Amino acid sequence: MKSKVMSIDDALSVVKDGTRLMLGGFIDVGSPIMCIEKIVEKGVKDLTLIAVTPGMTGFGKSMLYKNKQVKELISSHVGTSAESTKEYLEGELLMKEFFPMGTWIEKVRAGAMGLGGVLVPVGVGILDQPGLFENLDKPKKVIDVDGIKCFVEPALTAEVAIVKAWRADELGNLEYRSTSLNDNADVAMAGKYTIAEVNEIVPVGTISPEKVGTPGVFVNAIVQGQTVEQQDKTYRELWLSQGKLNIEE
Amino acid sequence: MNIREIIAKRAALELNDGEVANLGFGMPTQAVNYLPEGVSLIMHTENGAFGIGPKPKYEEANSDVSNAGSEPVTLPPGAAIMSLGTSLGAMRNGYIDVTILGALEVDQKGNIANWAVKRKGLWWPGIGGAMDLTHGTKKIVVTLTHTDKYGNSKIKKEVNLPKTGINCVKTIITEKAVFDVGDDILILREIAPGLTIEEIKEITEADFIVSEDFKEMEI
Repeated sequence: MKSKVMSIDDALSVVKDGTRLMLGGFIDVGSPIMCIEKIVEKGVKDLTLIAVTPGMTGFGKSMLYKNKQVKELISSHVGTSAESTKEYLEGELLMKEFFPMGTWIEKVRAGAMGLGGVLVPVGVGILDQPGLFENLDKPKKVIDVDGIKCFVEPALTAEVAIVKAWRADELGNLEYRSTSLNDNADVAMAGKYTIAEVNEIVPVGTISPEKVGTPGVFVNAIVQGQTVEQQDKTYRELWLSQGKLNIEE
Repeated sequence: MNIREIIAKRAALELNDGEVANLGFGMPTQAVNYLPEGVSLIMHTENGAFGIGPKPKYEEANSDVSNAGSEPVTLPPGAAIMSLGTSLGAMRNGYIDVTILGALEVDQKGNIANWAVKRKGLWWPGIGGAMDLTHGTKKIVVTLTHTDKYGNSKIKKEVNLPKTGINCVKTIITEKAVFDVGDDILILREIAPGLTIEEIKEITEADFIVSEDFKEMEI
């Protein structure tokens, strides 16, 4: 069987101007940071970016906003990054609405599972208030399900999904590490073409079958990201610069 | 103690041993520094873990172990990782016992507003996990300063900003008072030492009655 391992350049040839792109990661922890860096370098424009949070200031996804590559953001938040906040407030980054985080992930899961959408009670009576979101394509639809009012939330899918995992084999089986699992296993299934950036590529048979977080069947391309050691260094320095970690005297 | 420490210390008294807790950033997170003796919690973080521990040392920080603020944390024995979907499902579906949340405004109906202010005509910064938390959590404690920088009450008859949750707040803690939320009226439980009920009335827009167990705040 053909190996799914390829260069980042080859894998990202599917990301073009106007691509609907979904990225795994939670405020850029467990994010495919090497692929994001390469997309910044490629300079593709008019992306629709689907990500649970915009990212961290001065790092990762934030460079995409700074570079004005993202036309629309579909997310739960805009304020976790100074760059996303700036572009949004200057009218350069469209957000038609904010989704509660749990709603966002269920829309992605619906997309991943081939469903049309989900019924969500969270925010009914709040998010459907007239005038709250002025750029909606159509008003939010509420239905009564056995006495519980729910939004009808359509599924979210993407042309390309990029996730970050700990390790992969050549078949594309992925194993995740700790809280970097976050939304990655769901995002991996919600893309038509799925790229996994991993810390380590291991021979087939290394990952115990019950430890596979995403079966290779859902993955189209595997790319080598930073090793665990490099990644620890990257984030420690980042956290130190943000005051989230201290070096003890 | 500064105002934030006073609020955090008082909020800690609302936490009971064994509770599953999700604490918002700032004063709520500070509350764990003041947990009464014998109280230990199962800390939930929405990015996907039950049972998170303190910040690691620099050389021990693991780039795949973080909390919802994307800060490095540790995973003590007994911790459990889950997907984001499972974690938000736990919040929505009542598996979190208690949350302490910061707020922009809160009101006598138990409504809370903490996700949006208008900037350049746009709502900012966003919802994140706050609505899932207010939707499902059994005990919601709101911590905030009693008034804004202009001296206006943040404890309203009805919140003006977009709501995060409706009729969900159980207790409100400020540096000056503690209220429970009753039936469209607040119940004043405690006031800070040196203040009078009249003084609280002057700085509180919401209607309130005084509890039978009314006492001085333990700070």
